[in-house]
Amino acid sequence: MDVREASLTIPAQMDQLHAASGFVREIAEEIGFSAIDLHQIELAVYEACANIVQHAYAHQGDGQIQILVQAERGRRIVITLIDTGTTFDPQAIPAYDPQQAIKGDAQVSGLGLFLIQRVMDDVRFEFCVSEDEAGRSGRFNRLTLIKNL
Amino acid sequence: MTSSLNITSQPLAEQSVVMLSVAGRLDANTVSQLERALMDAQLSGHRAIVIDLGELTYISSSGLRVLLAGRSNARKRGGEILLCNLQPAVREILEMVGFSAIFPIFGSREQAVAAALTTSDQTD
Repeated sequence: MDVREASLTIPAQMDQLHAASGFVREIAEEIGFSAIDLHQIELAVYEACANIVQHAYAHQGDGQIQILVQAERGRRIVITLIDTGTTFDPQAIPAYDPQQAIKGDAQVSGLGLFLIQRVMDDVRFEFCVSEDEAGRSGRFNRLTLIKNL
Repeated sequence: MTSSLNITSQPLAEQSVVMLSVAGRLDANTVSQLERALMDAQLSGHRAIVIDLGELTYISSSGLRVLLAGRSNARKRGGEILLCNLQPAVREILEMVGFSAIFPIFGSREQAVAAALTTSDQTD
């Protein structure tokens, strides 16, 4: 299987999100996603990173987001976002309801998460604990986004 | 890499309708420009705001929220926001979040302006 792997680490800042989503988009483009799919992949990465900056690192100024991309030519793209901020519980925020918007409510919530879940084929939030060789443990959040070709 | 957005404003039909042409990326870093343009259009007394999205290549949830808030503000003043010339990828996102049932969407500027003039006449 023809697989390309790439990674990028960005400071968890709003002005870095375009760089992160653009990085993933370029790789997705190489393996043949359509223009509409590319917009959706870029959007999912942008929204997911925005959630990390605004929620996971809401009280920390110096966090980072690690972006790992596994692009399987002719098959799918797997994007993994890793952060060490506060764990995000997708169940804890009110789900976006298009009916709320249709009724004229401008204060809709959960729009970013709704988009991520709609445009990707698989979305997984995980809280992980790791241990290094010296036995020191660390904790991190891992978000996996998958889109099939 | 930075985001960029360019907005030009063109009053039409004796100030009752304004055309905003939005080009580039509408995301968290650029959305304040559209917020300001919508506010300016409303403060200038334009009842109908036509937004030409023909050159808009990307929209995030921040951009969607500003469109929704702009519509809410416009309607409080008896006005409306109309969208036209959407690129397929942007249209797909608007349909996904249900905005195609909220905003009048037109294929061309001419169609949108004609509808805007009707909206504007009805509110006079």
